[in-house]
Amino acid sequence: MQIDSELLTKLETLSHLRVADDKKEEIMRQLTDILGYVENLNELDTEGLDPFFSMLEGGTPMREDVTHKEENVAREILAHAPMAEEDFFIVPAIIE
Amino acid sequence: MFETVIGLEVHVQLNTKTKLFCSCPTSFAEHQNSNTCPTCLALPGALPVVNKEAAIKAMRFANAIEAQIDEASRFDRKSYFYPDSPSAYQITQFYAPILRDGKVTIDLADGTQKTIRVTEAHLEADAGKNMHEGAVSKVDLNRAGTPLLEIVSAPDMRSADEAVAYLKKLHATVRYLDISDANMQEGSFRCDVNISIRPKGQEAFGTRVEVKNINSFRFVAQAIAYEVQRQTEAYEDGVYEQEVVQETRLFDVNKGVTRSMRGKEEAADYRYFPEPDLRPLIVTEEMKAAARELPELPDQKVARYTSEWKIKRDDALVIVADKNLANYFETLVAEGAAPKQAVTWLTSELTGRLNKLSKSIEESPVEATTLATLIKRIEEGVISGKGGKELLDHMMENNERDVDALIEKLGLEQVSDDGAILAMIDEILADNEDKVAEYKAGKEKLFGFFVGQVMKASKGSANPGKVNQLLKERLS
Repeated sequence: MQIDSELLTKLETLSHLRVADDKKEEIMRQLTDILGYVENLNELDTEGLDPFFSMLEGGTPMREDVTHKEENVAREILAHAPMAEEDFFIVPAIIE
Repeated sequence: MFETVIGLEVHVQLNTKTKLFCSCPTSFAEHQNSNTCPTCLALPGALPVVNKEAAIKAMRFANAIEAQIDEASRFDRKSYFYPDSPSAYQITQFYAPILRDGKVTIDLADGTQKTIRVTEAHLEADAGKNMHEGAVSKVDLNRAGTPLLEIVSAPDMRSADEAVAYLKKLHATVRYLDISDANMQEGSFRCDVNISIRPKGQEAFGTRVEVKNINSFRFVAQAIAYEVQRQTEAYEDGVYEQEVVQETRLFDVNKGVTRSMRGKEEAADYRYFPEPDLRPLIVTEEMKAAARELPELPDQKVARYTSEWKIKRDDALVIVADKNLANYFETLVAEGAAPKQAVTWLTSELTGRLNKLSKSIEESPVEATTLATLIKRIEEGVISGKGGKELLDHMMENNERDVDALIEKLGLEQVSDDGAILAMIDEILADNEDKVAEYKAGKEKLFGFFVGQVMKASKGSANPGKVNQLLKERLS
């Protein structure tokens, strides 16, 4: 699959990332290479296989509905946030 | 002529003690970010573990609406960037929801019933909250990770009234099941409305518009009315294709209009894929057994009230729509009030007084046991209906709750004693000999005059039944 500039623009929008103009050619080539590599998987015959097939067995573990709170954990995470104030995380204004 | 087609997606916050994937408390209105941990803050390496109780509550709902439970439902990631979701995705159930194919029966104004299909309901994690302040937004992630059950209906509703009836039924059902507080103000019961129109007789659906995040029954009705008008006008003006596009709109509660969110939605591409951190949710026998324990549900209550207690269906529907009202009513009857009297005293006398005070039934200053005693005293003839109203008025404003002491204190006791009433009757008949003669000559209308005079003489305390009976005897 070929990644063209239109698809790259869409990927930039979806990932909230911006690729510098002088890097675009290189990134498109690399992404195309990666997809080409992954396409090797198409050689496998998956006809009739459950799409959710997994090598793992059994269900997800579950917990009882019992609260557990460690007071300092949230504070510590807030202290490491790029910006926090009055125990709120602060982010650039979201334009509604 | 056009037909309106409505489908609803309702987000019900499950009232578990802990979040869906971590042990943080779900308590409301706590200090910002105090109910958070590495999992709900999406720190690298922290892994989700499913809350078993949330799954049981969803299964209980499935049983209540006769839906199929998927014994191995799965979780998926819905990718989106927004500061209220620190992981940049929401864990939801896109490919294999926990339940499918349920049904909810609604009662319509004309007395008929209609079944609304529930296509599916899936478990998912709620987002946090953003507060916007000038150049920055403040983020509180206490709600992030709270379990939601998103209940998706088929496009089976044809009017705002049907949509509201469905929502109210769903609301009552989750409240009786005790799987959600369903508090609309606090946002634990909110809904997205899908609305389209089509010319009557046309089979294909029109273009569907989604109005997101409405948190009151009234606003749902308003948003539908507005959309139907907007879409119909566009059709009639020949600009349907341009004006009605598949999009998300928001309802402006102040202006009563919906507004496009276009632009923001254009880039939306959720790129769902199976959640790699979670295996399928395999329900155990123990969970199935727990989910089979259902309380009496609205339809069963209506059936019992009408058959056992001979209450009008319309009255039963009003009472059952609110769990607290139904509890109050059942206490009245359990305490010995006659069901029909209990309906009147609860739905008109008490509710009327509470409405004036802007209070709900659970805030009623008069408890059910007290009101039951009052109703019983009326049935026993101790006080009149009018005396009962006076007594209720008094109790709404005062704290004294000894009904019998109050009847005495307020002088509400009816005179049922034959001797006392006869004495009054004889005095009145003696004072009105001319009218007695007219009555006996055939002017029977005067009977009401005599009753009125006796009641007046007793200052309203005479038992009207007794007065009637004794007067008839004396005048015959």
